[in-house]
Amino acid sequence: MSTSRQSEPDDPSANEKWAASLLLDCAKAISEKDSSKIHQLLWMLNELASPYGDCDQKLASYFLQALFCKATESGERCYKTLVSVAEKSHSFESARKVILKFQEVSPWTTFGHVASNGAILEALEGEAKLHIIDISNTYCTQWPTLLEALATRSDETPHLRLTVVVTVSMGGSVMKEIGQRMEKFARLMGVPFELQVVRVASQLGELKEEDLGLREDEAVAVNCIGALRRVGVEERGDFIRMLCNLRPRVVTVVEEEADFTSTRSEYVKCFEECLRFYTVFFEMLEESFAPTSNERLMLERECSRSILSVLACDEDGGGECDRREKGSQWCARLMEAFSPMSFSDDAIDDVRALLKRYRSGWSLLPAQGDDSGLYLTWKDEPVVWASAWKP
Amino acid sequence: MMKGDFEVVHGAINLVQPSETWDYTPAGFPVPHHISNPPTSPTARPVLDGHCTNTDLSDLIMEQVASPFSEASPSTTNGFPMDTSALPTDNITTSPDEYRSRKAPRRVYERTVCGSGESRSSSKSLAERDHEHGLNMITLLLECAVAISTENLPQANRMLLELTQMASPYSASCAERVVAYFTKAMASRVMNSWLGFCSPLVPHKSILSAFQAFNNISPFIKFAHFTANQAILEALHQKERVHIIDLDIMQGLQWPALFHILATRADGPPHVRMTGLGTSMAMLEETGRQLSNFARRLGMSFEFHPIAKRAGDVDPSMVPSQRGEAVAVHWLQHALYDATGPDRNTMRLLELLAPRVITLVEQEMAHTGSFLDRFVESLHYYSAVFDSLGMSLPFDNPGRHRVEHGLLSREINNILAIGGPARSGEEKFVSWRMELACRGFVQMPMSGNSMAQAQLILNMFPPSLGYTIFQGDGTLRLGWKETRLYTASAWTTRPTR
Repeated sequence: MSTSRQSEPDDPSANEKWAASLLLDCAKAISEKDSSKIHQLLWMLNELASPYGDCDQKLASYFLQALFCKATESGERCYKTLVSVAEKSHSFESARKVILKFQEVSPWTTFGHVASNGAILEALEGEAKLHIIDISNTYCTQWPTLLEALATRSDETPHLRLTVVVTVSMGGSVMKEIGQRMEKFARLMGVPFELQVVRVASQLGELKEEDLGLREDEAVAVNCIGALRRVGVEERGDFIRMLCNLRPRVVTVVEEEADFTSTRSEYVKCFEECLRFYTVFFEMLEESFAPTSNERLMLERECSRSILSVLACDEDGGGECDRREKGSQWCARLMEAFSPMSFSDDAIDDVRALLKRYRSGWSLLPAQGDDSGLYLTWKDEPVVWASAWKP
Repeated sequence: MMKGDFEVVHGAINLVQPSETWDYTPAGFPVPHHISNPPTSPTARPVLDGHCTNTDLSDLIMEQVASPFSEASPSTTNGFPMDTSALPTDNITTSPDEYRSRKAPRRVYERTVCGSGESRSSSKSLAERDHEHGLNMITLLLECAVAISTENLPQANRMLLELTQMASPYSASCAERVVAYFTKAMASRVMNSWLGFCSPLVPHKSILSAFQAFNNISPFIKFAHFTANQAILEALHQKERVHIIDLDIMQGLQWPALFHILATRADGPPHVRMTGLGTSMAMLEETGRQLSNFARRLGMSFEFHPIAKRAGDVDPSMVPSQRGEAVAVHWLQHALYDATGPDRNTMRLLELLAPRVITLVEQEMAHTGSFLDRFVESLHYYSAVFDSLGMSLPFDNPGRHRVEHGLLSREINNILAIGGPARSGEEKFVSWRMELACRGFVQMPMSGNSMAQAQLILNMFPPSLGYTIFQGDGTLRLGWKETRLYTASAWTTRPTR
């Protein structure tokens, strides 16, 4: 796209990165309560935005929705409607199709899986009874590889109990089919297997030790993928302490690298960070998928719900929390109850091998300084953080 | 204030009442379609996979659309409460809240007679589920349109939220793609109703490139160009000096073909003066350069005059006629932006020009009138266009997506916007053919040669089984199956004395 210095007055979209410019101006206008400017910018965005166009048009479309809801104070209602509609049209087949395709074209989720599995296998080496508590948003796609490793690696295949913790927005509705498939697969692999599903009614932060049904003789691993960010900000400390009380051998934490938490009282700063993160994500999606991919569209729509939740809903608005924090922030929290565990060379090799299977642009970056963990980078920008912790 | 070099189009931000103030009386012009029998209930039909699967769902659209709307106030659907407090009402300029009797759609559509559903469905339950999904989408779409037409914006907004999650523009089903774009247009409309602004932003570059792409994959534009060129050729027979005025020249794709024929005329090429109207002077000048180069290569004497104005804003003195010149005026109607401005003025200009021939190609759909009328007609219209694209290209073809998104979606957006494509409150003609007839222009029937041109173009496109040419009332119409989409006609000034 050519950047014309003197763009036609009729064609603001000829400017590169026009969306970011208009969106930020609108966010500022909203925080300054400049009514006429808000109207002007919403109008322009409405004219230029499209959820089916290029990256700028898509970002404009989804962020416009958030801005509009913010300006009309209809965020919660809008979010609730979107979530309930998504739930209705959500099916096992559709969810499966989307995530499998995503994993095929991008290491965004598989990076965390490979790193975490490496840490879990290492920590549970030699144990006969394993209990993995899985709090993640990837529909158990992590576990087949682990089951395979358990079946082929150890002399005596251990018994694996898998507890999957779900909330409504984290795939609760499709667990039945997923569970059946997991059981079948484990049987195929010859791994003694037990599955239980724990449904948390509303907020993930309400999960209690008693809900998990721990047994005396098992070695526990807790796997949190995109989970901690769904715990209410004020409750994160308690949640981490609760995890510690489970006396796990290892806790694996994978989160996306963005900070919507420390800025949550400053609208414009939070907006900027949100826009930054989703610009990277959408660009990554555009480069990874075919131009007319339905799966990519589903992922984009999921993003739009998150964007709405962060930018147009109040903390206690009743929507589920979705406030990301960066790796260094999670480190600070986790260090209160755990000590960092570094990934073994084998695990890191596995991750490197994984990245080779995808298009170029992806790389690894170990955490710097006091922080622990491993970053997945896309075009040199850290996007996903994976870490392992022990008590 | 804003970064970048853009400013508000046309200077003023008009606060326009979102209420439909443009009533019209049904034209005396013959209505092509009539419903005589009430539609029968749809039977479950298996869904095709792979290539376009829309035959069954398009039928559903037609059936739903053909039955007159019974209720203006939508009942609660899907358990959504009737919540009227979602949007601050003081910001919405509303018309009186009472129920207004709707006009029945100007054209009601016969059920498309279709039966070409090869059933290759994998499992009955999947097909039934898809069918139900399709029905739900269309029902919701129609209810949403009714909500907008009665300005129940909160209700419409809620339904749109649902619709946006249900329909994908990348679907194998043409009907679902249509729903996705109609949903997008209505969402945009709801926001504009709330904002109270109306003037559109027109990104000309991307429109032109989408227009060209459409021209490449579809015969409609070529049909317009070639049949009009034929009529112009016949009218300019043996004329030495000609003045061609294109009311919306864009990139002038039409003219090289005509120049070629004029240049190789038996009695030598005429001197051609061309006046091109458009919205962007830069683009007009570029078009002029291209056409001049082409004419020069053909050895044809040629002058080009750009006018960066809409036809209705043109002062007739800007288009002076020269003695001994035969004047041809051409206009291809579209909904990408308002090309003509105040239609009365355009008509006055035409009268003053007193052309030897006016070639007109109109879209068979309402560009003006009540929201519901525009909605119903455009749904029918674009379903047919999307169907035709679906037959030519697979559902995941990026070129097809570019045309649907960059061109057709834009038109749909404009048709459903407040006041239609013009969005200006200026009075727009319902039917140009009717207006020309009323103003004393004489229709010249499209000749057999024009018909031959149309036929030739169709033969260029493989699935020519779907495209249909209708001939009647002196016009030539190109359509898709039963739906007439573009009508070409030619007119001349009644000789005085």
